[in-house]
Amino acid sequence: MILTVARKVFTEVMRDGRIKWSAAIFAVMLLVAMATAAQRYVDISVERDSAQEVVNEQWRAQGEKNPHAAAHYGVYAFKPVTPLSFFDTGITSYTGVSVWLEAHNQNDAEGEPARDATAIARFGELTAAFTLQMLLPLLIILLAFPAFAGERENGTLRQVLSMQVAPHQLLFGMALGAAGAVAVFIIPILIVGLLALIVSPVGLVFLGHGAIMIAVYLIYGLIFLFLTLAVSATARTAKAALVAMVGFWAVSSFVFPRAAADLARLVYPTPTAVAFQQGIAGDMEMGLDGVSPDAAIRDLTERTLSLYRATTVAQLPINIQGMIFDLQEEFGAKVFDKHYSQLYSTLDAQRGIHEMFSVLSPRMAVQMASMELAGTSLDHHLFFTRQAEGYRRSLIKKMNNAITFNSEAGQANYRAGSELWGQVEPFKYEYPTLMSSLTRLGPSFMIMFLWLGVSIVTGLLAVRKLKVMVG
Amino acid sequence: MSKSVFAQEWVLLRHNPTWWAIFVLLLVLTIVAAFNGTARYNQVADVVESLNTDELATQSALQDTVARHEMNPVGDPPAVTSAGTVGLSLLGHYAILPLDPLAALAVGQSDVQPTYYRVTAHPSHTFLNATEIQNPMNVMYGSFDVAFVIVFLIPIFIIALTFDLMSKEKERGVLGLVIAHGVSLKGFIVAKCLARALLILLILLVLGIVALVLTGAELGSAAVWMRFGLWFSVVALYAFFWFALALFVNAWNQPSVTNGVVLANLWLVFVVVLPAFANIVATTLYPAPSRVKLTTEMREAAELAEQRAAEAREAYYFDHPELSGDSAVADAFFIQVLATDAAVERVASPLMQEFDVQAASRQRVVELIQFTSPAIMVQNALNLISGTGSEHFQDFTAQVMKFHGRWRGFFTDRILRGEPMTALSFDEIPQYSHESRGAGILAAGVLGPMVGLALFVIVMAGSAIRRYSRYPVV
Repeated sequence: MILTVARKVFTEVMRDGRIKWSAAIFAVMLLVAMATAAQRYVDISVERDSAQEVVNEQWRAQGEKNPHAAAHYGVYAFKPVTPLSFFDTGITSYTGVSVWLEAHNQNDAEGEPARDATAIARFGELTAAFTLQMLLPLLIILLAFPAFAGERENGTLRQVLSMQVAPHQLLFGMALGAAGAVAVFIIPILIVGLLALIVSPVGLVFLGHGAIMIAVYLIYGLIFLFLTLAVSATARTAKAALVAMVGFWAVSSFVFPRAAADLARLVYPTPTAVAFQQGIAGDMEMGLDGVSPDAAIRDLTERTLSLYRATTVAQLPINIQGMIFDLQEEFGAKVFDKHYSQLYSTLDAQRGIHEMFSVLSPRMAVQMASMELAGTSLDHHLFFTRQAEGYRRSLIKKMNNAITFNSEAGQANYRAGSELWGQVEPFKYEYPTLMSSLTRLGPSFMIMFLWLGVSIVTGLLAVRKLKVMVG
Repeated sequence: MSKSVFAQEWVLLRHNPTWWAIFVLLLVLTIVAAFNGTARYNQVADVVESLNTDELATQSALQDTVARHEMNPVGDPPAVTSAGTVGLSLLGHYAILPLDPLAALAVGQSDVQPTYYRVTAHPSHTFLNATEIQNPMNVMYGSFDVAFVIVFLIPIFIIALTFDLMSKEKERGVLGLVIAHGVSLKGFIVAKCLARALLILLILLVLGIVALVLTGAELGSAAVWMRFGLWFSVVALYAFFWFALALFVNAWNQPSVTNGVVLANLWLVFVVVLPAFANIVATTLYPAPSRVKLTTEMREAAELAEQRAAEAREAYYFDHPELSGDSAVADAFFIQVLATDAAVERVASPLMQEFDVQAASRQRVVELIQFTSPAIMVQNALNLISGTGSEHFQDFTAQVMKFHGRWRGFFTDRILRGEPMTALSFDEIPQYSHESRGAGILAAGVLGPMVGLALFVIVMAGSAIRRYSRYPVV
């Protein structure tokens, strides 16, 4: 019975001229988005990889100099792009692409593409994810809103109900028919996307991400499908069903994300760059927990002298300057960790507000999941900057150790060469595992399933009432 | 047109709960948006204040040190009497972009473009890329500002109010009755439209004034009212465009539901699809040069300059003949710094210029492409009126670059002459003052979108009227 209903709905939808236009817009956008983004992905990943190569080579070939001068020269870490970023660019336009890793300083990522974009970019970037998040629901609404309400207006609903159809069969039949119609447009495009993912260089690593991504959008579509059917079964006229669903779509997709962003900013403000730097500079000067850096250096010198039973640093078998650099670096690390963890907890609190709003807006829940799976979420960005910072600290430590153990006390003209530079492993970014992404997405998945459950239940309740209302 | 039909429509509209509901909803949204805009405006104002205090404190500390030494010149002069130490390391001047009077109405590009630079005596590329700390998620979502209410939400409300403008009358059988009473179809339509247009104008005026008052604009200032006049004209034209579109769609004599579907699709096309495509066109035609490449090339240049310090210094002496022979007076260390800076700048500035050239071309494409969609025109015009559009920030950067030349010159001259900083000379350090672009440039900028919008309205309304001559009454 479900299949009979599904076939009828499918045929009706496919005949409707209005839907053809919406579906055509949708398909063209999806194709253009995926094609341009795939091209951009190839360009960007080649560019970043080769830039990383260049920087690594610059490091190795930097000539003879003091290791501390080399530490000041430092290296750059370029953020690699994941193959799924062609599907959902997430926040990548609004984050930097490279971090300068140098002595003494934890630098922020620089070169965010948004600086070079015009104001129209703010309407939204054309990506496959954007198309699916914004247009897929509208397409579903447009083809499903007359399902019950239209029949009622035509007077055919009574006939349908008089046949031996259980309400839930009617609901699922209609859902299946409408879903089938949408699938006709989407599945070929998704297959192309999956194939593109598989052939891309590290695509196989992200195949699991891609599969879950498809499931996420499937759930998203089903949420809107059942909601529309529920509203259609309840609304007096098809017109009312349309207005209600389009209104819900507009508010939940366009208004709530912006409202969430503004509220997050207002409730948990991030510090200004100047205040942030002043906070770090203040701690660097005054020291944490009351011990000034100068006192710590004096203490280190005395301890080292007594360890080697020496009276002057010149008598030490090692160069204490390296140890002092190391001490400063460790102290700096503590200061940076303090301030950055404060900043990160503010960002996390803001994320909490976004999650709260996704209870009201399925789009926001889906978007969070989509960005995370595509590797273009804020978490991924911070994962990268943390890894880069960890690499910086180990690199600087190597340089300081070289000064401590390879040069003599007070030997300022000590020079190291390519042998030391070569001992530094080049920076290689390790992507977070799929499991860690899924863990982060716990709340978003819960909200999505909640939405799905609620929409199916309201659909079932609405069709059950349908019988009573007409009969 | 018939006066009685107009009066009748006016009464009906005044007592229509849907119109009231939409008005109240819009009012609430506008109040929230104005509140958001003001919060952001105040945040920026606070930052500006803290920058000024910060700079003043730094500078007066330096000045005091020098003054103390001047009064009691015992021992070596302190390091801060060296122009190199001050200009290349200790002091920076915050060049700040003042907020425009209506900045709180449209956030525009102000959340991705810098509203201040810390100018130093180093090359400009060292400070032009500084950024403010933000959650990129928030930036991606954008702001719930008044411009958003106008560009995205006003059309939805107008569509909700007008999608069944004629189809409803027909479906209820009212149209036939009215015509039977001797009212011409044209008169009936004109009366209906005038009543609605008047009401829309009134609603927009109330929303605009509320936004203006809530954002704390200076109501006594002529500049504010000039801008508000432009703002209102643009917003009204945009509202009329959607109204005319609904009228046109209704002229095809389809059921209300079809009109609703068609208008929802048109909203999508104008507000979402066309801007997204326009963005792709602009970035494909004039892509930004690679910042990654910029990073590696400048690094290469810096390293080369350090390795060949002597060569760089020679080149610098060659460029500054006043130095040679008498270089003993100048501090060799800072001469070396300036020489290295100059070597890097030689590589950086053509690359940076490439960014500017591409950005300008992209901006020109956008100014053309905006005519495809009223939504883009309105967003651009509102950004212009609030002083938060791309061109505003490009102008700011250009002015800062020019100022940077003066500021840097002040210190490099002293370094080259070996002239120390005196307590008095601190007062002679150039200060940035922003020259705001005149009202003429603003009006000229908004003129394009306004003409474009007017054309859209005329074409839509004209086509609708022609189409209605074939409109079957029954």
